[in-house]
Amino acid sequence: MKPMLSTDLNVADTTVEKAKIEVKGLNFYYGQSKALKDINLSLPERSVTAFIGPSGCGKSTLLRVLNRIYELYPKQRADGQVLLDGKNILDRSQDLNLLRTKIGMVFQKPTPFPMSIYENIAFGVRLYERISKAEMDNRVESALKRAALWNEVKDKLNASGLSLSGGQQQRLCIARTVAVKPEVILLDEPASALDPLSTAKIEELIDELQADYTIVIVTHNMQQAARVSRQTAFMYLGELVEFDRTEKIFTSPREKRTQDYITGRFG
Amino acid sequence: MAEHTVASFDEDLRQISRLINDMGDLAGSMVGAATRALLETDNALAQRVVSDDAIMDARQRELDDRAITLIAKRQPMADDLRNVVGSIRMAGDLERIGDLAKNIAKRVGAVGISAAPRDLTHSIESMAQLVLIQVQAVIQEYTVGDATALAKLRNDDERIDVKYTSVFRELLTYMMEDPRNITACTHLLFCAKNLERIGDHVTNIAENAYYVLTGTQLPANRPKQDETAMSAPAA
Repeated sequence: MKPMLSTDLNVADTTVEKAKIEVKGLNFYYGQSKALKDINLSLPERSVTAFIGPSGCGKSTLLRVLNRIYELYPKQRADGQVLLDGKNILDRSQDLNLLRTKIGMVFQKPTPFPMSIYENIAFGVRLYERISKAEMDNRVESALKRAALWNEVKDKLNASGLSLSGGQQQRLCIARTVAVKPEVILLDEPASALDPLSTAKIEELIDELQADYTIVIVTHNMQQAARVSRQTAFMYLGELVEFDRTEKIFTSPREKRTQDYITGRFG
Repeated sequence: MAEHTVASFDEDLRQISRLINDMGDLAGSMVGAATRALLETDNALAQRVVSDDAIMDARQRELDDRAITLIAKRQPMADDLRNVVGSIRMAGDLERIGDLAKNIAKRVGAVGISAAPRDLTHSIESMAQLVLIQVQAVIQEYTVGDATALAKLRNDDERIDVKYTSVFRELLTYMMEDPRNITACTHLLFCAKNLERIGDHVTNIAENAYYVLTGTQLPANRPKQDETAMSAPAA
């Protein structure tokens, strides 16, 4: 067996693949308190990465850094580097609107706009593009198809997005994200408020979407992380404890803290 | 290892370990008794081995039920998952060891009737000793968590294979010397083959146990020394 070097700890066995996002020496602060401590990891392109860990470990914080959505709130700041295709998105010169078209996000609770299903999708597209009605119709249809929702809503595109079930609303939000043609999709516990059937649909969708997008998912459901992701990062107290292929993490993790967490032995 | 937050999870795992231990003890006593019955033509003892096999089967079914229920209820991960899946597989091998011991026991009558000369059984006796030591050691080393000992134990199966080859040749010689030995020697040959198969199951258990404990597989290749196929078609 190869001896373990301490410097190996944070490095996944994914070095051969092209990294879409590289996080280097990232620290994050909520005011005085440090929520992320020297995070280094590399997210390969067109694959699903899961962040797991107990509440307060920093996994959602890390996700929120990746599209700088934390900047909506005062006194939150990040230092270090987050490279998207080699370009540091934490740079002041980064255009935030452009960044968020490239990196879409879906939240724990479905957040449809109080408008029609059609408009829920068209609204975001119009912010960035001027396209004809026919093109927009196509875009809405393909986004809804991409989110596996089209068959359920094609006859009621003018109905309110809020009239849909929770699972459908969540897929509508994914359709809305997909419609602006992002490169990366961030999912913050996208299925935790859904029933098992809707959850299965979301997971199936994630599986299909990874052919075209780089996906990062935060989840409390470890079986879900094991099912949908190709690599998994375990975080604890603001540190990245272990990052490796998902099979490795869930069958024989290197770190005792990872083992204790995923087997339910955490103190 | 720290305890689970859910205490009943630990209890479920303990039940499975207890069953593996029981089955390991039973396998050891069955192999020991079957061999003694064979060497001493003890039909009563042989009968006990046959009835012990029913207990072995029941234990395996209980372990299967418990393991499947545990997986359904608790979705074990990492070392817990390896433990549960590994236990299912080890129980399968232990159950097969029980079957093979029973098979030896069932031949006791046949060998006895044909009045095998005592010296025919000498080399089988020393082979059975080797096998018995392996059977008893494997679950013990698993229980104490000694992966190094398990790796060594797995390689020690080579000695059984070597012994089997020599028993095979020896019995063949007896048969050629005096055709009246053929019936007894054929039964003994099957017994030797069963012992050799028991050794293989111990090897499987050692490999599984090693994986459960370490999360890594032992290398696929291990020394193989059964050369009976070179002198005659193997049984």
